[in-house]
Amino acid sequence: MTVKECYALIGADYDNVLSRLRTDERITKFLFKVAEDKSYELLCDSLKTQNMPEAFRAAHTIKGVCMNLSLTKLYASAERLTEALRGRTEYGDDIPPLFEQLKSDYESTVNGIRMLQ
Amino acid sequence: MNNVKAKILIVDDSELNRALLSDMLSADFEILEAENGVEAMEILHEQELEISLMLLDIVMPVMDGFEVLSVMNQKEWIKSIPVIMISAETGGAYIDRAYDLGAIDYISRPFDERTVKHRVMSNFMLTIKQKEMSELLSSQIYEKEKDNSLMIEILSHIVEFRNGESGLHVLHVHAITKMLLERLVKKTDKYELSNKDIRLISNASALHDIGKISIPSEILNKPGRFTPEEYEIMKKHTVEGANMLSDIPFRKNESLIRIGYQICRWHHERYDGKGYPDGLKGDDIPIAAQVVAMADVYDALTSERVYKPPYTPDEAMRMILNGECGAFSPLLLECLNDISESLKTELNVISFGHATDNVIHDTVKQMLETDGGDASNRSIQLLERERMKYQYLLDISREIVFEYNSVPEFIKLSELGAESLGIPMKIIEPANNKVWTRMFAREDFEHFVAKIKETTPENPVLSEKYLLNINRDKKWCKVIAKAIWSDGEMPEFEGAVGKIVDINEEFAAMQSLEQKADCDSRTGLFNHNAAKRRISAILSENKGKNKRYALTVFDLDNFKEANDVYGHLFGDEVLEEIASRIKASTRSTDIAARMGGDEFILFMEYKETVEPQIKRIFKKLTEPFKEFDVGISMGVACVESYDGDYDTLFTMADTAMYTVKRNKKNSFSFYNDSMKSLLQAD
Repeated sequence: MTVKECYALIGADYDNVLSRLRTDERITKFLFKVAEDKSYELLCDSLKTQNMPEAFRAAHTIKGVCMNLSLTKLYASAERLTEALRGRTEYGDDIPPLFEQLKSDYESTVNGIRMLQ
Repeated sequence: MNNVKAKILIVDDSELNRALLSDMLSADFEILEAENGVEAMEILHEQELEISLMLLDIVMPVMDGFEVLSVMNQKEWIKSIPVIMISAETGGAYIDRAYDLGAIDYISRPFDERTVKHRVMSNFMLTIKQKEMSELLSSQIYEKEKDNSLMIEILSHIVEFRNGESGLHVLHVHAITKMLLERLVKKTDKYELSNKDIRLISNASALHDIGKISIPSEILNKPGRFTPEEYEIMKKHTVEGANMLSDIPFRKNESLIRIGYQICRWHHERYDGKGYPDGLKGDDIPIAAQVVAMADVYDALTSERVYKPPYTPDEAMRMILNGECGAFSPLLLECLNDISESLKTELNVISFGHATDNVIHDTVKQMLETDGGDASNRSIQLLERERMKYQYLLDISREIVFEYNSVPEFIKLSELGAESLGIPMKIIEPANNKVWTRMFAREDFEHFVAKIKETTPENPVLSEKYLLNINRDKKWCKVIAKAIWSDGEMPEFEGAVGKIVDINEEFAAMQSLEQKADCDSRTGLFNHNAAKRRISAILSENKGKNKRYALTVFDLDNFKEANDVYGHLFGDEVLEEIASRIKASTRSTDIAARMGGDEFILFMEYKETVEPQIKRIFKKLTEPFKEFDVGISMGVACVESYDGDYDTLFTMADTAMYTVKRNKKNSFSFYNDSMKSLLQAD
């Protein structure tokens, strides 16, 4: 599978990332890093323990990473969750559905990336 | 750019972001990474001068980007290190705040390779240009200052040579004026003198005697005393000099002319109003003229003149302080007195080229400091080399060396130090760090920090002992540290460097030595001196209190026989046996000692009566040992609310023991007043 096909599969913007990062090689290198990144686990743990500032930072990091790699779909759900968590001190009912969306997008993105390996 | 890559510091909590930026920039720069603000602070703390540029994220754990910018402002790092913010936050308020805190540019995510490279490179080039410009500027200032000083010097030397003097006078007055002014601004801010003013007055001081050019040389160089008429002519040099300056067309408002005028006209005024030409009094005389007047008098006194030999600096100082030469403000007299020692050395080293060059170097340095110039590349290299040496020495040292930084608070250990303590090399907020406080108890560490903050820049070294927990062993350690204070008028505590030395063995050895010195080696009981010291301490501590004590003195009746009949080895055995019987029948608070030979003492506190106890001990001691019948003569002195000393008590018990010896032996007796006669007879 090519990087372009992979991007199409996971709902990401290949043209945009290529224009910024310039080579497939570099894009692949950093895609693999996304799969290894611990921010997602940190987000799950912080939400479980309802550590809101930590959860915000984790979601924020995921958002930043997606932005850099033009992972459009995952970026959108990370952004919604980040904004819901910004400045929050308490857990609320609005969070689980946003998290579920992010979880599903995250899993399909990581699965897509693994197929490149 | 030269072949050594410039360093860029990337501060971002996401490893992926750091890697991405590093990937884009590593071809042109050497990349350092930090994953939060505190780590960035540590790197800046160490390599401030080497970092050419910093990329800084905003949202980070531990210490965020805004906090990093605040500390950089506080430490003035922001002046020398350009900071580019990177963040997904594009809100205007975020960007404004970063700019307000001194960030020079802002790159928003997602990163575009061309944008990142371009922004970093152009900001980097901009700073390089700025550095080059400031170096260029400094050499231009240097040239300009050199020309200025040279002109002033030529002018004033013309006057001096005409005056038959060496020309050193101008240089001396310059140096003394500068030192006096520098001292003066430390004492008071009433004259509002900036560094620039000090420089200006010192330079203008060279002009003080230019008026002498209009004085006929027969008068100027007359070896003897002036006639009153000649003196009147001589006095005119003040007004003449001032007029020369004020007559220069179009330049009246130049500060050099203005200050030079004051100095020329009024450097012979006196604080008491009895000087010339205008009889100004007190602070009506401009401060520039007051200071130059003092410098002039001091140098005139300490130099040789046609009409007088030189005085020593101490004589000159005494004459000025006593008012024998001129009249000055008390504050200036204090300043002169304060700098008297440094004046001696300073004036000795002044020669022509040397002084001029030094002054100019100082000037350029000062200007650059106040105008925010950068340290030169050369000094950065030197610094880097010094750190390399320090790091190497640290690496090979077997000692536990540490660095303590106050804001942000962290401890940094040498590699081997960290290894031998079994903790990481870097500890952030040590007082709240469990790994650290497990080793260095929190209250001990806080004690250390409080103590080191109590030191002064003059006396910055501290040495304290603490019981540390090193790899699960409690060990006595000495912590020796030197506090680091900032320069300047109000030094601030910045941190400390020091080492931790294991003194456990030393400590244990000391304790056991102390114990050994107090003990009788044969029996393990105290020796007489040690017992006496302890008993005296108890007696004096409880003087006048309602307490009862008994001191028992005894010896063996037939010890000589034990030695003679059964041999010395057996004699030793008997002594050891007696000692172990004493130990067995006394309490730990009692004090038992062997005085020497076969004599022992026993000191104890008692409540109601001591007789049953004495009986029991006596019975125990006199049990037969092997085939030897132990006989004991024992005297006991009992006291209540005693306020005498040990020796008196001892003599009482000793007297009681002798009454036993004199009568029947192998018994005990209590001292009573009827024995007083014996006591006195002895």
